[in-house]
Formats: sequence, C-alpha cells, structure tokens
Amino acid sequence: MTENWWTDDDRLALALSEAVQAADDVPREFIAAGKAAFTWHTIDAELAALTYDSAIDHGQALVDLRSEPAQLRLLTFASLSVTIELEIADDSVLGQVVPPQRGDIEARDATTVLAAAVADEAGCFVLRPRPPGPFRLLVQFEGQTSVLTGWITV
Amino acid sequence: MRDDPVVIALVRHARDGDESAWDSIVDRYAPLVWAICRRFQLSQADAADVGQEVWLRLVEHLPILREPAALPGWIATTTRRECLRVARVNTRDLGTTSSADPEAAAGDWELGVEQEVLTAERNAALRDAMARLPMRCQQLLTMLIVVPPVAYAEISTRMNIAIGSIGPSRSRCLDRLRHDPDLAAFLKRDTQASRMG
Repeated sequence: MTENWWTDDDRLALALSEAVQAADDVPREFIAAGKAAFTWHTIDAELAALTYDSAIDHGQALVDLRSEPAQLRLLTFASLSVTIELEIADDSVLGQVVPPQRGDIEARDATTVLAAAVADEAGCFVLRPRPPGPFRLLVQFEGQTSVLTGWITV
Repeated sequence: MRDDPVVIALVRHARDGDESAWDSIVDRYAPLVWAICRRFQLSQADAADVGQEVWLRLVEHLPILREPAALPGWIATTTRRECLRVARVNTRDLGTTSSADPEAAAGDWELGVEQEVLTAERNAALRDAMARLPMRCQQLLTMLIVVPPVAYAEISTRMNIAIGSIGPSRSRCLDRLRHDPDLAAFLKRDTQASRMG
C-alpha cells in the first residue's frame, strides 16, 4: 500500500463515521455508571480477594441439587490481615470476620450504601435484606483499618 | 508499545484525583468495553455488571498502573475476563443447555484482541480531533457521516450554504481533521506500530 488510508477523503469520512457510531452505540447509563465509579478512589481500604466460592468450586453439584430448597452460597474473601466468610441466603447475608473483631459493615454498589450492619465481638454480622444487585462489602474496624471485598453477584 | 501522550496525561491527572480526567477516560474507553461485551453477546444487564466491575477495578488499579500507555490493553484484558466470568455464571444457571460457549467465544475474541484495542484507540483519536474542529465543520461532517446521511438539499437549508459548495466544504473540513496535530501524531505512531508489528 503506497497511500495511507486517511489521505483519502472517503476513507477518512468512513473511519470518522465508524468512530462516532461506536461511541453512539454505548448506552448513556453505561457511561454514567463508569463515571460514578470514581467515588471509590477516595476509599482507602485494603482489598480482600475472593478465595472460595461454593457456586464455582462446586458448580456442577449445584446444578444437580438445583431442586433442593434452602441452598446457601458460601464465599470467602481474604486480605493480608483478615478473612471474611459469608453465607448468602435468599433473604440475608450472614458473615463472620476472622480473627474475630468488632467493625462496621456496609454493602455498597458503585454509588450508594445498600445495607449496613455491625460485627459483634465474635466478628459476626447479618445483612438483611440481602442487597438485590451486585455489591461489595466495606468493613471498617475499630482500629481504623478498612477492608473492601471484591464484587458479589447473587 | 505506543506511548499516547493523551492517555498518559489522563491517567496521571485521574491518579491525582481529577474527576474530569477520569470522565474522559470513561468516555474514551467505554466503547471498547461495550464492544467486547457485545462480542460475548452479553445482555444489557450483564454488560452493565461487567462495565461496573471494569471501572471499579481501574479506579483501584490506577495508582499502581505502571505503564499508563498500556491502559487500553489493560481495559480490554480486564473486560474479557469479566465477560468470561459472567458468561460462566449464566451457563451454570442455565444448566448445560446453553448454546453459546463462552470459552469458544473467548478464543474467537483472542484473535481480535489487538485489533479491538487498536480500533478503539483510533476511534478515540478521530473523535477527539473532530471535537477540536470549528463548529461548522463539526456540524457539516456530522450530517454527512450519520447513517443514513442527511440529504444535500437538507444540509444546504440547515447550514445556509449552496449545494455546490457542500462537497468542497467537506473536503476542507476533512483536510483540517487529518492535519490536526494530535491526530496526525497518532496516525504516524499507528502506522509505525503496524509496520513494526
């Protein structure tokens, strides 16, 4: 090819058309949610990564047991300093912080606090009702440290 | 690796807490995230989940992103991983009857990963340059590039110019576009990169 595409008016116009179209295709709320995510940058918390998810580790078993009532999904998140164990039920989220300690628990989506609870001296807490959409937990301990879990999709 | 100074500046400012820089990053790369979600044939709700996860991860990742110029590649890789995760959950919830195979879709996508990123960067550079054109050029080009394009007679009325001068005006505006310094610099890097690759 001796000539670059953009030196040709029609090819440049076509590329421009595709560029504008690609941006127009994106729903407005999709972009708005992305912009709203910036509020998280002010939260200075240690991240706790997912280390166990019963739905993934026993995915096949879950499918087979689909008709069984009262299934609990078990999740474990771990940071350097703490582990957070969760049982996701239909109407609530039961949790325990290990090692046990008091703290404030918030379930949040990108912009808002969906539910809040307090962890007792045994590190146990209950969030009820269970947040409907994807959320993550922000745990603020009395000693000022905070831990933020990855996203939980139920 | 091409070092796009626009991207590097946006990352640096967003890192310093500049919200408008963050907004620009989202405006710039949301089409990339969206296009990848479409490739995985995710529903709008699933795509929204993926988008949220990608942006939140990026917020966390910004301070430790070692190569700001690698941002588009990082976004593409993270989006792909999240799409796979969502697709797996969907397959699980549907039992094994789902016809769409996320792994196959991912493999298919692998081939296009570099191309998707390059296209996104090129599109962003073109849109940026378009936004810097004089207002009348933007108006004219917008009417000419929408699908379907606005008829010349209509353009003539709306912009109060003779039909015969629409063609030459289009040409002049496109010429201004290709001589936009940032776009020209981008295209030059783009050409060099593809020749080397």
